Amino acid sequence: MKRADVLLISIVLIAALAFIVPRWLSSDKDKAGPDNNLVANITVDGKLYKTVKLTKEEQTIDVRTERGYNILKVHDYGIEMYDADCPDKVCLGFGHITRPKQTIVCLPHRVLVEIAGAGSGEDDIDAYVQ
Amino acid sequence: MPMSSSESATALKRTVIVAIFAAVAVVLSLLEAQIPLVGVGLMPGAKLGFANIMILTCIFFLRGRDAFVLVILKTLLTSFLLGTFSSLLFSLFGSLLSFVVMFLLVKWGGKKFSVIGISIAGGLAHNTGQLFAAAIVFKSTSIFYYLPVLLITGIVTGIVVGYAVRYLVASLSKISLFEEFLG
Repeated sequence: MKRADVLLISIVLIAALAFIVPRWLSSDKDKAGPDNNLVANITVDGKLYKTVKLTKEEQTIDVRTERGYNILKVHDYGIEMYDADCPDKVCLGFGHITRPKQTIVCLPHRVLVEIAGAGSGEDDIDAYVQ
Repeated sequence: MPMSSSESATALKRTVIVAIFAAVAVVLSLLEAQIPLVGVGLMPGAKLGFANIMILTCIFFLRGRDAFVLVILKTLLTSFLLGTFSSLLFSLFGSLLSFVVMFLLVKWGGKKFSVIGISIAGGLAHNTGQLFAAAIVFKSTSIFYYLPVLLITGIVTGIVVGYAVRYLVASLSKISLFEEFLG
């Protein structure tokens, strides 16, 4: 490796860590729990499809579009992609997400699930849907 | 313009090399798709980027336009074979950006960067390009949440790909088919 390689690697690593470390250190209020009233905003093709409260109880959300179906499950103050008929199944790999800003994406179906604080629920949609 | 026989022989060799590289790149992509990366705790959708080995090697031996043809062929074929046609545009966007970055670095930064640095830059360009394409489609920037993780995995896979390219270029240089393309 030459000097420019090492320089490139270090710059990118520092930039990436600068984003990741604050996430690890983020305070408890960002974590899942009964007090935080987190919601998940589900958008299809850039348009809001549904906003669901993340509860401990299990809820199932069906997202059916002409591209296919996605089944989301809410439980334990988080949400996960349970099933989808997209070809790559990448969306199933995101697992159970519980923190604000975490997302699940299904590229083939243009489905995007993002967790937000309750305050930035339905009122704040214009902030991220252009 | 009529070509002399040595010119047409060279053109034929280029075509053969691009075809072989495309075939190997597609096989590498298919193999890679069988490896469950999610299980190791990596971000879903992250790829090892083995096909990049062939593209970077091609940039070293052949002209930019040959490598460009290889990128298009590889992306089209893998998209058809893996049945993710809907994400074809995303792959194309990422692959082309990665190709442009690597090509420019080989052309102008070849003395400053080693193969490993160039392959890392290509991998990072691929990841960023795909996220940009996704952000445009979703009309949302929240997808960039995954950029830091992708950058780190991009560095690791870039190093692996870079070493592979170094050995591959050294080995192929001994084959007579590649002799006349050595710079």
